[in-house]
Amino acid sequence: MSLDQEKLYAARLQAVRVRPYLATALFALHVVESRRVPTMAVDRHWRCYVSPAFVAASPVEELAGVWVHEVAHLLRDHHGRGDRFAAKHDLRGPGERLRMNIAADFEINDDVYGDGLARPAGVVEPGMLHLPEGELMEDYLRQFQLGPYTQGLVWVDCGSGADGLDREWELGGEGAHGLSPQEQDAVRFRVAQAITGRPGDASKGWRRWAEQAFHPPQPWRALLGAAIRSATSGSGAGEDYSYGRPARRSASLPGVILPSLRRRPPRVAVVIDTSGSVSDAELGSALLEVASIGRAVGGRRDLVTVLPCDATARVVHPLCRAEGIPLLGGGGTDMRTGYAQALRTTPRPDVVVILTDGQTPWPSVQPACRTVVGLFAREGAGRSWSEDSEYVPDRPPEWARVVTIDS
Amino acid sequence: MPFAAPSLRLDVAADLLTLLRDTTTEPRSDLQLEALTLAVAADLPVLLWGEPGIGKTAALQQLATALDLPLTTVIASVHEPSDFSGLPVVGDDPAVQGVPMAPPDWAVRLVRAGRGLLFLDELSTAPPAVQAALLRLVLERRVGALKLPPGVRIVAAANPRSSAADGWELSPPLANRFVHLQWIHDHDVVVRGLGGTWPRAALPELDPGLLPEAVAFARRAVCGFLTVRPALVHQLPTNEPRRGGPWPSPRSWEMALSLTAFATAAGTSREVLSMLVRGTVGDGPGLELLAYLDRMDLPDPEALLADPAAAELPERGDLRQIVLDGVVEAVRKRPDRHRWDAAWALLVRALETGAPDLVVVPASTLAALREEDWDVPAAIDRLAGAVALSRRADRAGARAVAAAGSGR
Repeated sequence: MSLDQEKLYAARLQAVRVRPYLATALFALHVVESRRVPTMAVDRHWRCYVSPAFVAASPVEELAGVWVHEVAHLLRDHHGRGDRFAAKHDLRGPGERLRMNIAADFEINDDVYGDGLARPAGVVEPGMLHLPEGELMEDYLRQFQLGPYTQGLVWVDCGSGADGLDREWELGGEGAHGLSPQEQDAVRFRVAQAITGRPGDASKGWRRWAEQAFHPPQPWRALLGAAIRSATSGSGAGEDYSYGRPARRSASLPGVILPSLRRRPPRVAVVIDTSGSVSDAELGSALLEVASIGRAVGGRRDLVTVLPCDATARVVHPLCRAEGIPLLGGGGTDMRTGYAQALRTTPRPDVVVILTDGQTPWPSVQPACRTVVGLFAREGAGRSWSEDSEYVPDRPPEWARVVTIDS
Repeated sequence: MPFAAPSLRLDVAADLLTLLRDTTTEPRSDLQLEALTLAVAADLPVLLWGEPGIGKTAALQQLATALDLPLTTVIASVHEPSDFSGLPVVGDDPAVQGVPMAPPDWAVRLVRAGRGLLFLDELSTAPPAVQAALLRLVLERRVGALKLPPGVRIVAAANPRSSAADGWELSPPLANRFVHLQWIHDHDVVVRGLGGTWPRAALPELDPGLLPEAVAFARRAVCGFLTVRPALVHQLPTNEPRRGGPWPSPRSWEMALSLTAFATAAGTSREVLSMLVRGTVGDGPGLELLAYLDRMDLPDPEALLADPAAAELPERGDLRQIVLDGVVEAVRKRPDRHRWDAAWALLVRALETGAPDLVVVPASTLAALREEDWDVPAAIDRLAGAVALSRRADRAGARAVAAAGSGR
């Protein structure tokens, strides 16, 4: 049996029509006919291996879904992520690679079908193992092991493009028509641009991929830490060299003026203003993070002070008591009052950290000290605000460094 | 006697050490090192970002040997700011003579040698004042009262924010002046190296015959790209995760231009150029420039229309799609009978040499451009395959929609 090229390409054409943003990636695949691959599979060099028997047996509309499924493995870099996961967790052997292939299929399949693409029978879904939808391959990998439940899935084989393990029927890096890593990145970039250019067309999973493809999210703890550290070290506080006093070594080098290392611990004031939409656990972890960073830079417990606004006092008081952080009374119901009060304290703080959910007016003038805003991301809250009323929360001011805190 | 005399024990240890250090090298392409070599050759300050202990210093040593430059390593975190800005030395009459800023000995030696590779290690763990003094050295190439000669090349290294104990980040103006290179270790190289065989990178060499061509190519590429994307000329990083990284500005585009010229003259791969350009103007603009370069390699639609019989269409489907779309767009802009026929000939050629689904959209667009008195060319019969394909896809789409409608 020879490969029915017309059927295969008709399926690709249909896939391009219903998923126009994937056109570049679908067209970039090079088709290789192979009798040893069970269905369709991709390798890490963007070649697509096709079994003629499978093409003959499947209707065009299902083949279109398989096209999109295979290209999703490549766009989402499942081979690179699989390799990294294996290296990090010391996983070896074909069983682990099968697990990766299944987890990668879970990540893709929850939003591949529908909207003009038919769902083939026996498609692999997280529901089969009673796992939630909408998670990433790495999350799924932590949640299941091969066992009786996965017996039905051992035939899954999407090639090295899905799990990073080279198969014997693949052409390998030396073969013709492969894409280099740079060319793969260029294709990914064009697809991501197509998705962000017309976000209405793409599903939520694809939009999330497009946002993060070239800017992987960084943990908010690291970002908040960097923001506070750079704010505390920039204003002359912290450890620094100074000519204000001569160094003790100066006595041994007459005529040469040496600076001495001075230490002025920075003072950090934390203003907290959140409504009920931020959970106590989230607020608590953010506050403790700020306090521990403040102490790491300052070295003393009493240099971090906290001003809760009324609504949050209930959570903040016990936390601060347990950690030994001084509390400066209630800051009023409005964040601006709390902010003004923080600036009035003596000695003045070097850095003010505001933890807020953004449902509040911001101070209008830039203060003399540096400001870091920890903004609790509230996607749903923001939307309902704009729908129910004309009121749209303001963006934080330009002069503050904003770190978005998501759970 | 089973043991050597005490005085000889260290000699035996020395023998063992000699055996351990006896390693061989093998040629192996190393993209990171190629990128670093090109950036150093282009006389741009490079900043290597990498976890501690993954061989940044070893790479620098290899580079210094290859370029035949003496390597001076300065560990920033153990120095004081005066080591870079100069020590004020009070002379006989400060009011008349001023207070000279005495440079440290390594700077004096570098200036005396006239050439060298200055490696500023551990940039991210130095106190802020030291960093401030260091960056003046990088930007103005001044140490105290001394100015470093042009033969001195500067490379700095820093640990990324996630691994540095004291997270420090570059301010946007400083980040803009560096070529940022991410340094990662290769698992295979490490294992093989510990087994006794380290890689020896074949470093890129500039081809003297290609220089004028390379400059012309780089200018055409960067200028052409920025004409199409004026918004990318200057874009300050706004959100928190992108701080401290490269971003596009006229200065960094100039750096990208010279890196493109160097990569072209050295004939290095697009991979290396991609690392360099993305490390200079940022990921997004860098990738867009690379995509533009790829398009410059594609055949010109006008040339294809002028001689469709000799046309060579690219093999890769996505590139072929761009070319065919470009041809149809060219006909749409300046429609005339002859060009329309030539475009049909090109489509037939594309159908005969590659995947048929690529031809469907350009063919229907081209058919819509037909004017009343133009006869349908004879070649159109040969596109019947594409039409059948399109109908088949239509039917499949209808079936999928119907199935979804009945199933739910």
